Formats: sequence, C-alpha cells, structure tokens
Amino acid sequence: MSLDPGFIWTAFLSLFKALPNTLYITIVSVLVGFIIGTAVALIRIYRIPVLYSLASAYVLFIRGTPMLMHLLLIYFGLPILIDGLASALGLGFNSTVIPLIGFAYISFSITAGAYMSEVVRAGILAVNRGQMEAAYSIGMTTPQALRRIVLPQALAVCLPNLSNNLIGMLHGSTLAFTVSVVEINAQAQIVAATNWKFLEAYLAAAMLFWGMTILIEQATAWLERRINKYNRGGVA
Amino acid sequence: MGRKFDIHYLLDFLPKLLSYLHITLFIVAASILLGLVVGFIIALPRLYKIPVLQRASQVYVSFFRGTPILIQLFLIYYGLPELLKLVHIDVSRANVLVFVILAYALHSGAFISEAIRAAVNGVDRGQVEAAYAIGMSGYQAFTRIVLPQALAISIPILANLVIGNLKDTSLAFTLGAMEMTGKSQTLASATQHFIETYIALSLIYFVISTVLERTFHHLERRLLRHEKQVAEPVVRYGKRRLWKRTLITRLEKGG
Repeated sequence: MSLDPGFIWTAFLSLFKALPNTLYITIVSVLVGFIIGTAVALIRIYRIPVLYSLASAYVLFIRGTPMLMHLLLIYFGLPILIDGLASALGLGFNSTVIPLIGFAYISFSITAGAYMSEVVRAGILAVNRGQMEAAYSIGMTTPQALRRIVLPQALAVCLPNLSNNLIGMLHGSTLAFTVSVVEINAQAQIVAATNWKFLEAYLAAAMLFWGMTILIEQATAWLERRINKYNRGGVA
Repeated sequence: MGRKFDIHYLLDFLPKLLSYLHITLFIVAASILLGLVVGFIIALPRLYKIPVLQRASQVYVSFFRGTPILIQLFLIYYGLPELLKLVHIDVSRANVLVFVILAYALHSGAFISEAIRAAVNGVDRGQVEAAYAIGMSGYQAFTRIVLPQALAISIPILANLVIGNLKDTSLAFTLGAMEMTGKSQTLASATQHFIETYIALSLIYFVISTVLERTFHHLERRLLRHEKQVAEPVVRYGKRRLWKRTLITRLEKGG
C-alpha cells in the first residue's frame, strides 16, 4: 500500500455526497445553540432565582464533559426517557420515530448552547453599561433596551468567538459517525474501507475541512470589518 | 438498545473505569508536554519573523486548527507508517498509544504555539529594552525576562487547552486505544447497559476537568501575585443593580 494521489481526488468527490449532512449538523447546532446560549446568558446575568442555578449547572456540566459523552448520553438516554414517558402516559408512539441525525441535532445543540452562553455573556457584559442607562433614561423597558441597544452591540463584540464556536461545531460534527450518521468523516471511512486506501481518504477529508474552516475565517473577518464600521473612536 | 436503567451498574462501573484513568491522564500529560515543545518550535519563527520558516509554521498552525482532531488521528495513524517506510523504519508493531499521543501532541502544538505567540507579544516591549539596557544578550533577555512573564500570561489559555485535550482524549478509542472511553465501550456492549456506563464516564470527566480548572486557577494566582491587583468594578445590568446603585449614591449624598 503506497500513496495513490489519483485516489485523493476520487475520494474528495465522493465526500461531497456527505457534505450536506455535515453542514446541516453544524448549522442546526449553532443556530439552536445560539438561542439556548442567549437565554442562558440572560438568565445568568439577571440572576433569575431558580433558573440561575439550573443554568449554571448546565453550563458547568456540559463544559466539563467531552462532546462525545453528550452525544452518547442523548443517543442511549433519550429513547429510554421517551419510551418510559410514552408507556406511562399511554401515548401511541415510541423513540424509533427519531431519525439518527435527530440525535446529533439535539445533543450538539445542547453542547453548543453551553459554549455559546459563555460567548454571549462575555459579549453582553462587554457592552458599556452607559448604553443601558441611556436606554432607560429615554424610557425604554429592559427587554426593549436589550433587544434594540445591547444585543446588537454584544453580537458585534462576540463575533470572533462565535466564529471560533462555529468552527468548533463544524469539527465536532465528525463525531456524528458514532451514531451512524453519514457525514464527511463517516463517508471517508466508507470510501477508505471499500478501497483499502485509508490515508488518501482521510487526506481528502482533511482538505475539505481545512477549506471550509478557512472560508469561515475569511467570512468572519469580512463581517467583522463591516459590523464594526460604526465603532470608530475619536472625533472624525 | 439497552435494558432498563439500573443504578447498581453505574456504581459498579465507576471503579472499573477509574482503573483506566491513568492511561487517559498519561495521554494528556505526554501530549501536552510534547505539544509544548512543538508549540515552542513552531512559535519561534513567527516571533522572530524568520523568512521561509515563518510561512511553514503558518501553514502548520492553519492545518492543525483547520481540521478536526478525529481526522488528524486517522491521518497520523495511517500516514506516519507510510512516511517512515520511506526511510525504512517499520512501525507496524508500535503501540497504538504512540500514534494517539503524537496526534494529540501535534494538534495541541498548533494551539500552544498560538498561545505562546500571544503571550510573548503580550509582554511589554519595554521589558526587552530594559534587559538590553543592562547588557543582556537576546537569548538571556528572552529566557530570563520575557519567558517567565509570558508563561504567567498564557496560563489561562494553557488551562483551557489542557482541559480541551482531556476531553479530546475521549476520541482515542476510535484507533482502538484502551483508555477510559475505550474501556467504557467494551463494558457497555458487554452488559448492554449503555446509559449507566456513559453517565459514569461523564462523571469522571467532569470531576477531573473541575479539579484541573481549580488547579490552574490557583497556579495563575500564584504566578501573577507580583502583579498589582486592580479591583475591577462589577458591571452588570438589571434594575436591581441599578436600584442598588442609586440607593448608594443617595446614601452618599446623605439623602
């Protein structure tokens, strides 16, 4: 077995079949994670009584355990929970209705939510509190001030971290192969095993991920310049 | 799918998994130590702007930060033997842990080099100038003045990297390495009690990462104790805080 450069290209083309799954997992987990993260961040900033402890425990646990564990816990735990509930309440469905990729969506969203909450929290706290006071002084309510004044500015602040998280989730989506979702990594394993050309297949997968990562980095750099246009200091 | 949830299995599996803890920790320690060496070598050309090497180290960092660790594991596992075959070294009998540690070391090396770069750039330029002023050589100034300060600055980033590395080791089972996750896979499929196994495993990971976090926090405070503590005002939003503040200003005004 020696390196077959031609096969890298063949493998590369076949990996494109699995690209949508990788992108779906990444996009769903980042979007849902962002919503969870914003909610958790607000709960922790405003110290809402019971929810505060729950949210803190959630963030602590998720950040303290590997992403693989979340996926496996959801994959094996959720069906037990759903089937238990369904039989207890006499509902006519069971966990087999959940598609495999659904487990990846759920668990990666939970993972992303914890990491995103820290990003959003840092972003909100970085916005000058004078902005909030100014909003209050013209008679805005707290939700209004948050939505119209603070959150847009916080978004601009946490953009670099968000992009890091997006890349992290893109790389994390490779774990979905453990629950038999055919994303790029799983496709690379399939191509590799059927042709007995492992190195070439993984080189192709690495190239694909590298390319996507660089794309995301470039896009964020561009977006950052655009969003921070208003953010110049001085008198000019 | 597994059988009914049974807490006894959880208690039974905890010690069984803990007996593989040292392998996980060994992977983390070895790869971080090796990664520090790699990271240092990678960071130097970019810090001193050495022409060709600077470009090479940029590509290295970009590649290892731009691809998933899982792919890197497989690349090293299948690629390294091929590479060594060219110089007639046979590694087909080598322990799988060697590949695992090497992959994690090269991966963390890329991140560590970025941490070192940021930290060295974070040291005030005047420190180097002061070192030159009292007649130190470039090497002396770097090892005696800049490096200790840079180390202290980079502790929080290094802490994150070590904890991230610990969590990443859960992927080593894909190459068949028998560490905690690998053991949990065999335990789970042998007893068909998946959820209990993974809860036990999560608990172990959670405790270790919490301990690591505390340790690094302590270390950071120790290394930075020479820095003057600047009390940062708590900046929070919310009516309660605002109300408290107005109350305090009112009290100060004597109202």
